[in-house]
Amino acid sequence: MDGDKPRHRYEMVNIQPGYLIVEHEVFSRQMRSYFSAEEVPPIEEYREGQQIWKYSGMAQSFHFDIREVATGRLTKFDDLLGLVPHTGCPPDSDIYRLGEIAQEQKVWIYVAVPHRPLDSSGLGVWAEKLKVLNRYFSERLGTPNKKILILPDYFGLQEQFDHGMIMADIGLTTMEG
Amino acid sequence: MTTKELAERLELKGLTRVFDKPITGVYISDMVSDVIANAKAGNVLVTLQVHNNVIAAANLVDVSAIVLTRGRTPSPESVALAEKAEIAILSTNLDSWQVATKLYEAGIR
Repeated sequence: MDGDKPRHRYEMVNIQPGYLIVEHEVFSRQMRSYFSAEEVPPIEEYREGQQIWKYSGMAQSFHFDIREVATGRLTKFDDLLGLVPHTGCPPDSDIYRLGEIAQEQKVWIYVAVPHRPLDSSGLGVWAEKLKVLNRYFSERLGTPNKKILILPDYFGLQEQFDHGMIMADIGLTTMEG
Repeated sequence: MTTKELAERLELKGLTRVFDKPITGVYISDMVSDVIANAKAGNVLVTLQVHNNVIAAANLVDVSAIVLTRGRTPSPESVALAEKAEIAILSTNLDSWQVATKLYEAGIR
């Protein structure tokens, strides 16, 4: 019954299932990704100027926006590749170690990894996006004393991307050989 | 109903400690992305997915317990993570439909 539902400040809207496509540059190993609503078959490597890009993999994922219920204000997350739990990172990484420290205090760290690396000048638009993302997930927690903390990717996860780290559905597509 | 009551009623095997938490509903999914988008705090997540990321996603949305169907076995790492997150992993040989039926009969809506 609607009267029993908790009233949250934010809601997830414009949820679109699709695919996370990952490519890497052959010489520099630079990684980039993008979201596609359609399944994309693995393509041959291709040249962009001096760079050669090669398909790395695909995972089923989704895109979403978050809307503030009272005002209708929409925060878009088109540039979000996905969320990585600290537990998905190598045990000798800073983010894993920080996550373990936080977890002892019932704070669970996730990293919001963008499709493109963060600008070196600072968080920029991500400052507000992270506020909204944290508020959205935190207001839904029911376990006493539990906290979720979603951090920006100051840990280079976007550059050292590993399919298994991102919370997406890998290996469910039929188009990979 | 709580997770302990559920485990006893459906004769589910605890693969972790059975943390006793209230259940608010059920969500059935085998996709991590779908769990993040649609499962709710306090839900029992019914799934046959055993990847670590299912535990991480379940933790993010604060599910009460995970019912792993068809006798699927999680890795020791998944079990350890679920223990830390205090999310019980309960196992059954039933499939998702059978589990859903039993949950409904148990009064969980």
